[in-house]
Amino acid sequence: MSTVESRSASTAPPATGPEVRRAPAKRPKDFDRPRFLKVYMGLFFLLLFAPIALVVLFSFNSSRSLQDFQGFSLRWYETFFETESLRDSLVASLQIALVTMLIATILGTMLAYGLVRARTRLSSSFNVLMLVPLVTPEIVAGVSALLLFTQIGLDLSLTTIILAHITFSISYVTVVVRARLASINREVEDAAMDLGATRFQTFRLVTLPALWPAVLAAGLLVFALSFDDFVLSFFTTGESPQPLPVRIWTQIRFGVRPTINAIGTFMLVVSVVTIGLALLLPRLLGRRESGLKVLLGREGA
Amino acid sequence: MSAINFEGVTKRFGEAVAVQRLDLAIEKGEFFSLLGPSGCGKTTTLRMVAGFEQPSEGHIYLDGEPVETVPPYKRNVNTVFQSYALFEHLSVEDNVAFGLKRRKVASDEISKRVAEALELVELRGRGKAKPRELSGGQKQRVALARALVNRPSVLLLDEPLGALDLKLRKQMQVELKGIQREVGITFLYVTHDQEEALAMSDRIAVMEDGEVKQCGSPEEIYEQPSGPFVAGFIGVSNLLSGVVQNGGVRLPSGQTCLADVPRECAAGSEVHLSVRPEKIWLDELEEGMASVEGTIVERVYVGTTTQVIVELAPGMRVTALEQNTARARSDDRWQIGDRVRLGWHREHARVLR
Repeated sequence: MSTVESRSASTAPPATGPEVRRAPAKRPKDFDRPRFLKVYMGLFFLLLFAPIALVVLFSFNSSRSLQDFQGFSLRWYETFFETESLRDSLVASLQIALVTMLIATILGTMLAYGLVRARTRLSSSFNVLMLVPLVTPEIVAGVSALLLFTQIGLDLSLTTIILAHITFSISYVTVVVRARLASINREVEDAAMDLGATRFQTFRLVTLPALWPAVLAAGLLVFALSFDDFVLSFFTTGESPQPLPVRIWTQIRFGVRPTINAIGTFMLVVSVVTIGLALLLPRLLGRRESGLKVLLGREGA
Repeated sequence: MSAINFEGVTKRFGEAVAVQRLDLAIEKGEFFSLLGPSGCGKTTTLRMVAGFEQPSEGHIYLDGEPVETVPPYKRNVNTVFQSYALFEHLSVEDNVAFGLKRRKVASDEISKRVAEALELVELRGRGKAKPRELSGGQKQRVALARALVNRPSVLLLDEPLGALDLKLRKQMQVELKGIQREVGITFLYVTHDQEEALAMSDRIAVMEDGEVKQCGSPEEIYEQPSGPFVAGFIGVSNLLSGVVQNGGVRLPSGQTCLADVPRECAAGSEVHLSVRPEKIWLDELEEGMASVEGTIVERVYVGTTTQVIVELAPGMRVTALEQNTARARSDDRWQIGDRVRLGWHREHARVLR
């Protein structure tokens, strides 16, 4: 406000001068930005984040109450990390997410490369088929995975969860990597071959360096998705150790305890950090584009 | 032994024929251009030499050796791409060194040759830069250095100047020709820009619909076009359709021009008469010239010359170029609506079927 005042004071015409029509001191607001939008946005984010904020807040509560906050304490985190079964579940979840990320990223990248670069009559139908796992209701995917595993006589364990997670994760990787790959000029690969690089060298020395922000972002996205997946894990999990989300669900059946808040907060942090890395790493490592653009397929082309 | 030999090379993509029974021999050290409109098969021809496409029929020989079974990365040719196709994540130096590293050249030899190549394209001191920090012209030079540093037996250039602005393009044409003379490598140059081809080439093959219409030196192609397509595509040409009649061509306007009619054009057959605008005289004609009469309908002043457009009959127009020299300024010589006589020496008119 002070700048507006000082400016209008300095531009005021001298009292003795002729009458000059002055521009209004206050400029009108842009017509396309009505003020109520800010209120609307505020409400939107309040609704979105308030429940999460409550979970985070009550995970630090010193009492058992889930209604009133009585003081700061880390006791629920202590319980979480000291309970062996919970710790095992956390480790299991991290293992699942890590293995899923590695395998799904490799397979998904290969699929994307094949779909974009191999010019076959089949690739257009594969392009559509590949999207099926993204739109299949997860419960259907879970039930069918369970049926498949029992039919072929595979004991339910971490392996079955990982297999189920990989199945749906490949599509995410492929969608992200394919968008990036399509934006890479094909002549660049031709140029590498022209200069004496074999197909594999071309992929390693030219394609992959241009592709890796997308590969990295896709991998971290898969990690986050796998880490907090419940439905698929629920259908394909063995007796023990169960992944963390399934473990929470089992515990809730016997009553809600504040430890849940601590676990929830911890999972939230893992997911947020993972997605944050996906967005920031490419930029931190000296690439111009951020992972957000890569994930949204908005760069290049 | 020729640097490149095409023997009956045909390339089909499904039903479409991109290149039709191509027979060409490109000599060592030659600056050879494939010239034609887009879709005439010139780039496909280039890609077949590079190894990115395989001929459907026929054979290609590089230095006398058939290359059908040789993959692109083993052929002794290098390409300069239209989009430059630089490796964005590598520095200029590493871009240029890419080919030498694949060929396992010793590292001190690599740095020596990279430095030489950058010197050749006048990019000394920009070796550490990344491609995105360079201008279009500089990128083009890096692409050129990256290909030349491998000392290929043939350098393939796919419209390398297409993305540059006019002034830079003209400058690069001169430089490219100079570099070619300096290194002595065979250049196979693809372009749709006839002026560019004329300015740089030792020989030109003009292509249309996958076929070579004419192959020869720039002078031959320009002065003695083999057919209406070449006459129209190279430079500006007045193409007048008419009928052969006792030692000349009778135009639809009723006038008859003297012309050297090739023996295979019988009297009464339909032909085109092709005359270059700069070969046409306006009034003050000399003895023995072929001539027609018409009305000036338009005059376009373009700096060094003035285009005078003359209508012989409705819908039948001829363009003549007048040099704006110190002596003659055509803008005060003729007015729109004036009747003029157009004339040319017989040897400057071509009768084309």
